[in-house]
Amino acid sequence: MTMSRRQFIRNASVAGGALTIGFSLSGCSDQQLPKRNAADFQPDSYLRVTPDGEVIAQVFKAEMGQGVLTGILSVLAEELEMDPASLRYEMAPPHPAFADPEMIMQVTGGSNSIRLYYDTLRTVGATTREMLITAAVQQTGTPASELYAEAGRIRSRDGSVDLGFGDLVATANTLAVPENPPLKQAADFKVIGRQNDRLDAQAKVDGTAMFGSDAPVENALVAVVLRCPHAEGSCGGWDAGEAKQLAGVEDIFQIDGGIAVVARNYWRARQAAEAVNTNWQAGAAPLQSSDDIDAAFAAALEGDEYEVVREDGKPPVAAGARTLAVEYNAPFVAHATMEPQTATARPMADGGIEVWVGNQAPDVAQAYAAKGFGVARDRAIIHNTFLGGGFGRRAAADNVYEVAQIVARMQQPVKLVWSREDDMRHDFYRPVMKARLSASLDGNGDVESYTHQIVAPSINQKIMPHFLNAAMPAWVPHGVKSAIGNMQADTDHASVEGVADTSYQFPHFRVQYTNLQTVMPLGFWRSVGHSQNAFVIESFVDEMAHASGRDPVEFRRAHLPEDSRHRTVLDKVAAMANWNQPAPGRYLGVAVHESFYSVVAEVAELSMEGGRPKLEKVYCAIDCGIAVNPDIVKAQMESGIIFGLTAALKGKITVKDGAVEQSNFHDYQMLRMNEIPEIEVAIIDSQAAPTGVGEPGTPPAAPALANALFAATGKRQRDLPLQLA
Amino acid sequence: MSPETIIFTLNGQPARLEIEPDTPLLWVLRDELAMNGTKFGCGRGLCGACTVHLEGSPIRSCSLPVSAVAGKAVTTIEGLSAAGDHPLQKAWVAENAPQCGYCQSGQIMSAAALLAARPNPTDADINAYMSGNICRCGTYPRIRKAIKRAAAEMAADAVATWEPGQSADAEEVLS
Repeated sequence: MTMSRRQFIRNASVAGGALTIGFSLSGCSDQQLPKRNAADFQPDSYLRVTPDGEVIAQVFKAEMGQGVLTGILSVLAEELEMDPASLRYEMAPPHPAFADPEMIMQVTGGSNSIRLYYDTLRTVGATTREMLITAAVQQTGTPASELYAEAGRIRSRDGSVDLGFGDLVATANTLAVPENPPLKQAADFKVIGRQNDRLDAQAKVDGTAMFGSDAPVENALVAVVLRCPHAEGSCGGWDAGEAKQLAGVEDIFQIDGGIAVVARNYWRARQAAEAVNTNWQAGAAPLQSSDDIDAAFAAALEGDEYEVVREDGKPPVAAGARTLAVEYNAPFVAHATMEPQTATARPMADGGIEVWVGNQAPDVAQAYAAKGFGVARDRAIIHNTFLGGGFGRRAAADNVYEVAQIVARMQQPVKLVWSREDDMRHDFYRPVMKARLSASLDGNGDVESYTHQIVAPSINQKIMPHFLNAAMPAWVPHGVKSAIGNMQADTDHASVEGVADTSYQFPHFRVQYTNLQTVMPLGFWRSVGHSQNAFVIESFVDEMAHASGRDPVEFRRAHLPEDSRHRTVLDKVAAMANWNQPAPGRYLGVAVHESFYSVVAEVAELSMEGGRPKLEKVYCAIDCGIAVNPDIVKAQMESGIIFGLTAALKGKITVKDGAVEQSNFHDYQMLRMNEIPEIEVAIIDSQAAPTGVGEPGTPPAAPALANALFAATGKRQRDLPLQLA
Repeated sequence: MSPETIIFTLNGQPARLEIEPDTPLLWVLRDELAMNGTKFGCGRGLCGACTVHLEGSPIRSCSLPVSAVAGKAVTTIEGLSAAGDHPLQKAWVAENAPQCGYCQSGQIMSAAALLAARPNPTDADINAYMSGNICRCGTYPRIRKAIKRAAAEMAADAVATWEPGQSADAEEVLS
């Protein structure tokens, strides 16, 4: 995703969102600063310094594994001249100061956290440092030119001044915030590009990292929810039967979206839920089953209802030396985060509600907590926890809405736990997609004409109403929000990203898109439209290269701009993989793709074992500008590659009557330790501003593998998931 | 099912509770004893997030009724080391293995059982012991490295503390 979510925000901002990049003390009252403590020195929203000398950073982005907590602390620490590990941190509450400048809401997504906040966080760190130095000047009379920050202290070169940050807090609090504090030169960096530690690792190996169902809330009951298995279906009646009499059961009742079963612990709740009689009905909307969806999408490819998203040049008058026309398919896939959806909540003495949840959009969570509990938004407190995987799934707050409704009825603490089956069957799925690719090549095998037709349901049309509930003022009626969600769908960039904005240069280049909705809920799945579209475009570019008898790397280079980052990463990965001379018995496939402002090239290397291809190794080169934490960048490439390969080899959600047919890890499988390739990652040395890393590793994985499979077997696979047989 | 008294040893301490005996150990740990380090992932023994040790052997606590641990010793991530500094935990940090972190308690408990059985594991041993644990973040390459790092550290420690005439185990490490 790139433009879609952002464009939505720009439009939505007309309807009422304010845009702020943090609040500073000047011009704002104390109440406007998050976690304000009057005794602390808090030059900006992102950190405060206590009189004890502790620097406490606000982790205002969701830590879901991508390493943003480490990134935020590292960038602040660089300018503060501190060891990042010596900063304390707090998970930030939803607060207008943390509204994403591109998305209005406090969303973590689009791999944009470090890209958007690198300068901001450096400036905040530098502002704090300079104000502490000014405070030391006032307290000691030593000129600023003699003072410097080091290890959480302000020191003088002659050794006469050595003050802890805490000793300067009272004075610093009286100072005006400087406009343009000097930033460090890159050559002087001690942390950025140099530190490789991950600051949340210890809590994640000793069992203390807190997730949504680990909240320290005493005497919490446990709730499970029965939901209609049919998307857009309904409940034709239910009765608790004997379930209410079962041991440990507290209550069973209907909420908006399902039937809640509340018990003393999860097991009792789950047992009772199985004893509840339900009469779920499928809805009447069209396109509820995988076969029908496929047939309708095939018909849509032939039809004349489409939007021309991009057209450069004119189609050739006559067909070229070679022409190709093929069809690609991608199924629905699920997020399957390791932590199923959870949330813990309790009523507060003042009539509000307090919720612990790991969420990518805490202000959406806040809006749903308030709605579910029946209070104004400012009466809903959100404690964001670590996320047990996000990948886009936890941008929604359906779990928060449920738990808030349940607490409203129970009026005591409740922990909501979804089963794996709940999670698999009530996800916001990556859309199903069908594409037709056609091309005309000239006598040299250069592309004359490239046409990319996509039929896919719009993600934004489905999910934007869910978000708008939070982004818009509470008084806007729901129907208006749905209408805006529908308007967005007409220009849903998420369906065409990675194709409409590709860097390939083709004389005639046409992209057309048909939005065809099914009943299934849709959401943002790690790299969003790029994940399917990169598979299609990079597989088809490979097909064009082979059709013209040219080397796939050379063919790509020839159609990419001369000084592009794409060529740089391609050349790098080709060298890493020994592309021109692979080891005997090894087969290589390549893909290159830009997403979230980073460019990644990958080569998959296969061997053949008993006539079956075996994935041996993946080489990866990324240009992400400055790598703030190089080892986390490498970890994200490994992660993105394995995520992409898992979907490429195993990911397929099918539906019947609007109900998902898969349920758990036996029928929706993941790559495991014994199945993963070796992975080697190189980061292109760059001093450019940092760009995305959480998602860009994913898109090239599937096409690199598909292209290697073609090299090994001579068979072109155009449908996901791919077969290793 | 009526509650019964179940007594077992949890991380070296006695645990006693009145509970329906069919309740899986996972929910006894999490909901009754507030031991939250052990995680729920699938409920069917398919993902390994809930792995703990029963008498030193790895088991999936989501699928084991608590009645089966009566009179026995259970170890969870909280009991693996006193200060979160088991060689595996240190190696996990050194290799930056965790990402979201949710599966890592189970991964580490499986790895601890592996090293107890195979102090110097091959890649095949690691595959055999660890392929029951899913990691959605794809931290497998680092888990593999961390297991090898911990194995090397434990072997070095065994050598460093070995004196002639000590246990046969230590001699085995040397050979």
